[in-house]
Amino acid sequence: MRHEIKKLCKIVDELTTLFLREDTNEVDFKIITEPDRSIVRIVDYNTKYSEEFINHFEKMLNNQRQSEIEEYYWQLAGENDDDDELTLISAMIDSATVEKRDGNLYIELVRLNK
Amino acid sequence: MVFTNKIEERDLHKEQKLLILALFPTLFLLFGLIYALLDHETLLGGLKAIVKSPTTLLTDFMALGGIGAAFVNSALIGFFNLYLLKRFKLRINGLLIAAFFTVLGFSFFGKNVLNILPIYFGGYLYARYQEIPMKNIILVIMFSTALAPIVSFITFSGIFTEGFSYLMGLITGISIGFIIVPLSSHMIRFHDGFNLYNIGFTAGIVGTVITSALRSFDVDIATVNIIHETNSPYVIGLLVLLFLYLIGVGVYTNKDAFKRYKEIFDYRGRTITDFTSLLGYGITFVNMGVLGLASVAFVLILGGVVNGPVIAGILTIVGFAAFGKQPKNCYPIVLGVLLAGVFFGYDFSSTTFLISALFSTTIAPIAGAYGPVIGAIAGMLHLTLVTNIGIIHGGINLYNNGFSGGIVAGFMLPIIDAFKRGSRKL
Repeated sequence: MRHEIKKLCKIVDELTTLFLREDTNEVDFKIITEPDRSIVRIVDYNTKYSEEFINHFEKMLNNQRQSEIEEYYWQLAGENDDDDELTLISAMIDSATVEKRDGNLYIELVRLNK
Repeated sequence: MVFTNKIEERDLHKEQKLLILALFPTLFLLFGLIYALLDHETLLGGLKAIVKSPTTLLTDFMALGGIGAAFVNSALIGFFNLYLLKRFKLRINGLLIAAFFTVLGFSFFGKNVLNILPIYFGGYLYARYQEIPMKNIILVIMFSTALAPIVSFITFSGIFTEGFSYLMGLITGISIGFIIVPLSSHMIRFHDGFNLYNIGFTAGIVGTVITSALRSFDVDIATVNIIHETNSPYVIGLLVLLFLYLIGVGVYTNKDAFKRYKEIFDYRGRTITDFTSLLGYGITFVNMGVLGLASVAFVLILGGVVNGPVIAGILTIVGFAAFGKQPKNCYPIVLGVLLAGVFFGYDFSSTTFLISALFSTTIAPIAGAYGPVIGAIAGMLHLTLVTNIGIIHGGINLYNNGFSGGIVAGFMLPIIDAFKRGSRKL
């Protein structure tokens, strides 16, 4: 089984855990599934992350989709609340935009259906 | 979250990275051919002995087929896997480097050009069945050749009539390739990524099931002890040369690789810690070379022999130095193994002890995350387990230490968690 829905939920789980642990006490997320892609939008309210950190974060998420890592390790996403799996998340998505507006962090992740 | 400052290094193309890795099987092939020629080994006879052996733990191909044949076997398997990486156009990341070196190393004891192929074919059938590209699973399949001895055992141990045994070996290998992907993905949750050789844990479970089934039919898989027992200065020299080459490539790629090497100590090493992506290829290659040299020195200082299983241990450390292992998270585990060795009276120069110490670094992330004391305790526990669990799967799982490491991590982590007082934040 390919577990496409569960993989999306795992991505949300990982990032929600990360933001609640490190940065904020209020997170919103929205998941949209389309025939050719899935989009995850996350809002991390009242972020304390610096611009430099956000740039690093965006760059890391845009590393490159790596299907072989996804296939092997996707079940690790969101499993640990003491560490992060950003390399795994970057391997599971095709593109990411991260920007800070009005004190909030807006993240959009795109995962193409392959 | 650890973000390193921007790394500036030469841009290596995918082909260049493959070429850097290709030097290993190329030199292994040349070394094997020259060694066989000068030592009057029968190369084909040696390869035939390797291919027709049941290959269960511990079957050192350097003892079974000769040093030349063992190196040629490893080179052939190395080239085959490099071809697959090129064929499927995979990004050469830390995990693929780890997989390549692991397969290369275990081709000195357990994997041969024949017993790995049915597992690859089983993986191909799984990919076709699930309608996913083969490139998605090739990595897991490379690692899953840990179970290659079961193919050899069923084919060559005489439990079936000749001819039928080939068919049964083939079917078993294909079945393993078919089921290993979902199994390995599921098993990782048991140890939460703290055991780097996750397939070793998975293969341990699969091996236990298969061995138990065979034993129910009164087929016993006995472990063997075929070990090459003399050091060859040429083999040691070749390894040292290759690790110096890795350091050289690292410095060529990133001229500040040594200056910035200490940044690698900030990473715990828990899966997924891909140093190629976090710190670049320069620092990663330096780390691989440094850990390779340290491993050779460790074996020689303890008076051990650099034979097939030990080379596998060293090359696996070198590979995983691109994917989680660094000196700071490895030393407490090895220290723990040494302490347990003193306590229980092990012979430090024996191959069994040495490979336990080398492969114990599978749980290096425990030391990376919880510090040297917990790391040393994990190392001690690892030695006690690894010397006792081989009997469960009868030696058909080559990554016996990965099996043990998974149990150690899965056992220790909830206990560590019970003693931790975390944030009260909801």
